[in-house]
Amino acid sequence: MTTNIDLQDKANRYLWMQAKGWADMAEMGEPIIIDHATGISVTDIEGNTWLDVNGGYASVNIGYGKKEIADAVMHQMLQLSYYPEQTTTLPNVLLAEKLAELTPGDLTRVWPVSGGSEANEIAIRMARAYHVRRGDKGRYKIISRKGSYHGATFGVAWLGRSQFMGLDEYEPGPPGMIYAAQPNPYNCEFGGKSPAECAALCAKDVENLIIQNQPDTVAAFIGEPITSSLGAVVPGDKYWPLIREICDYYGVVLIDDEVVCGFGRTGKMFGMDHFGITPDIMTFAKGLGSSYIPVGAVIATSQIADAFAGKENIFYAALTAGGHPVSAASALMNINIIQKEGLVDCSAKAGQYFIDCLKDLADRHSIVGDVRGLGLLVALEIDPKVNFTIDDEGLAKWLVRKFKERGLLLRTLSRVIQMSPPLCVTQIEIDLIVEALDSTLTELASYISKG
Amino acid sequence: MTNIVNSEQIRLKALNNLWIHNRDWTEMAESGGPPVITSGEGIRVTDSEGKTWIDVNGGYSCVNIGYGRAEIAQAVYDQINKTPFCPIGTTTEVVINLAEKLAQLTPSDLNRVFFSTGGSEANETAIKIARAYHNRCGEPGRYRVISRRGSYHGMTGGVLWTGDGPAVHKADYGPGYPGMLHVPQPNPYRCEFDAQTESECAVLCAQAIEDTILFYGPETVSAFIGEPIAIPQGAPVPSKEYWPMVRDICNRYGVIMIADEVVCGFGRTGKMFGMEHFNVSPDIMTVAKGIISAYLPMAATIVSDQIADSFSGGESSLKHVLTNSGHPVSAAAALANISIIEKENMVDNAREVGEYFKSQLQGMVNDHPYIGDIRGIGLFLAMELVSDRETKAGFEPDIEVGTRLTDKFKERGLIFRARENILHFGPPLCITRQDVDEIVHAVDIVLWEFEGECGVGRLA
Repeated sequence: MTTNIDLQDKANRYLWMQAKGWADMAEMGEPIIIDHATGISVTDIEGNTWLDVNGGYASVNIGYGKKEIADAVMHQMLQLSYYPEQTTTLPNVLLAEKLAELTPGDLTRVWPVSGGSEANEIAIRMARAYHVRRGDKGRYKIISRKGSYHGATFGVAWLGRSQFMGLDEYEPGPPGMIYAAQPNPYNCEFGGKSPAECAALCAKDVENLIIQNQPDTVAAFIGEPITSSLGAVVPGDKYWPLIREICDYYGVVLIDDEVVCGFGRTGKMFGMDHFGITPDIMTFAKGLGSSYIPVGAVIATSQIADAFAGKENIFYAALTAGGHPVSAASALMNINIIQKEGLVDCSAKAGQYFIDCLKDLADRHSIVGDVRGLGLLVALEIDPKVNFTIDDEGLAKWLVRKFKERGLLLRTLSRVIQMSPPLCVTQIEIDLIVEALDSTLTELASYISKG
Repeated sequence: MTNIVNSEQIRLKALNNLWIHNRDWTEMAESGGPPVITSGEGIRVTDSEGKTWIDVNGGYSCVNIGYGRAEIAQAVYDQINKTPFCPIGTTTEVVINLAEKLAQLTPSDLNRVFFSTGGSEANETAIKIARAYHNRCGEPGRYRVISRRGSYHGMTGGVLWTGDGPAVHKADYGPGYPGMLHVPQPNPYRCEFDAQTESECAVLCAQAIEDTILFYGPETVSAFIGEPIAIPQGAPVPSKEYWPMVRDICNRYGVIMIADEVVCGFGRTGKMFGMEHFNVSPDIMTVAKGIISAYLPMAATIVSDQIADSFSGGESSLKHVLTNSGHPVSAAAALANISIIEKENMVDNAREVGEYFKSQLQGMVNDHPYIGDIRGIGLFLAMELVSDRETKAGFEPDIEVGTRLTDKFKERGLIFRARENILHFGPPLCITRQDVDEIVHAVDIVLWEFEGECGVGRLA
């Protein structure tokens, strides 16, 4: 029988876990090794159970332990595990049809991939190649918003230029990256006094950047409907309609990154549904398969896709695992579960309850600066003006440790606590999370610097 | 599920909503495509109309153990029912075991495994590690990456510009990535230096790497990346001098050597890894495809302890996150896949049947004047067709040699990868001699037909 210690030693000897250092983990008796999981709970091989407040990487939308996915995957794999080049398979076709049905407007053509980075890479290339097909060859620049995150591969890592991506070590980045203001009402770059004012100023910033860069050099604008990397930043209502107008006016392709927001996360099927606009390209990953099997997709409007119809116009790009029949079968069953169990509504209701509870916490804890989010994409930000006796990086670690002691696994980035549980989270579980936050915040108050 | 669907309906849906990689829907509609594959077994697949095909290239040279292995499905099923995923900052037993297994299989001190979901991501990760490593060693100026023309390392924003993709990519997706340098491919059949022997070609191509490093300055060069045997040009095996020389050059100038084993790895070439043919150990090795025989998405970047140790602390950890890095379900499938490769001696089979395959192809050379070269090793083989053996000239574009041959093979029940004038053979490693005979027979007939249409007679 292999013990936990043996396995941890092995992990620290051979495994490169992301954003973790094995020397540190060895000292701290990590990593936690998960054995089984159900709903929003995970249990390690020693029998300790935690609530996974982020549901993987905000990705396990249907929750852990759904046997239907195991059955669908088993069935498809026994039937057909892969496929020859230039052919396709039944689940892929059905998934493409399903996505075309679910998405708004004339988003109809699905280019399958296996993850969010790949999806956004393809979206950007599609936008550039689309302009080339139309004879508008100088358009290559991409506008993203400061602090956003769209993936880890070289084509997308510099989008948003997040300070947490360690980009300094990977320089130089690709040419043509333009950074617009983040429409964050809590911390508006232009000092907007209301969400509406901030939205208008930040949209105007996009237009100014397009003009400064010369419109005929700008290929695309990319953004998440609600910015997940900065902790569920919800822009004012007018932001996205304004962006849509600006993109139309200047011929810029609008890419909607739904990797986190898609499939019920924000209380609607897609994040952009809150704002009533149709983008030119949407990208999916995470919630599309609830992380049971890696899967992602890009969907384009027929206007974009039709530029690539005909033998002489082919969009040349291929990924071995894009269009995988087993990934598609698992995604189809996942969407089926989301719909059958009404998980999008659950997300809206549970999210409202969650946010109400957190606002109540904010009223009682003066160190809470902001509570924000939509549906089950929720964040709590510790007031940046409060000084603690520990620095911000230490603070994030301290929070993670305290939450862990209280039975919660969750993600903190600097002073932002991110919460994105599976959409099946119950009121009782939310109460448990809020309780643990409550006592942790009380404890944190004792670290306020008196100086 | 399949028997209740009308295959015409499915085809229409595919034409309406699906963007099949490297294809377009108007041409597919005209040619009655796409074929919708519904089942597979060994090297064969069956479509929705009940027609069975030999998948000569085993997916994208990736279905190493063959189609239809129920053991993988069982391992995957069991893991999903245990736990399909895990929270941020945690891991699972299968992932740890797979990391250990890869460390054991790979040479020397390649011991630290970063998982991802495909070859592109694995190579991007390798380049990120290489750049960050130099940064930590106090050489932040080392960012350039050297690769070979005629190589392929993936399609995401960084690696797309390594190797030397077709011109259309450059026009469509430019501008290119800064710092990508290209050197000649040690392809003995088409040596850029017109070398007279394989050895000479290898030596000249290796020296070109050193010249490039010196021209740009070693203090600006981060890494060299290459497949042990390159893919797009159809398995050009470099002469034995090449890789040891490259290893020396990389050592001499402090350049990290990345071996892209995405295609060559896991038995494809008749050894577990392609680099074993050359007795060279890289600093970083990337694997995908064969690690899991494409039963699920999975890839890995395997790094030497010497490099990885710069990233061991919490503060010094690599800032690089992919949702599906270390996916437990993919790991369970990969472990089952490697176990099948080992238990069923598929690496040996690749070597033995590969030799037979190659000799059968070579046996056709005298019958077919269009065969320019037959090359490769193990079950990584290729045939290059030329219109003139003396000049090695290709074919006029209007002959559409690739499409024409692909269509002819289809009529004979073979799904082939014919890129322009190169036929690629990368079948599952479970292929038998009888299967090889069937494929070779079809190649023979198709070449006859093609030569007849082009008005070329048999060589006297």
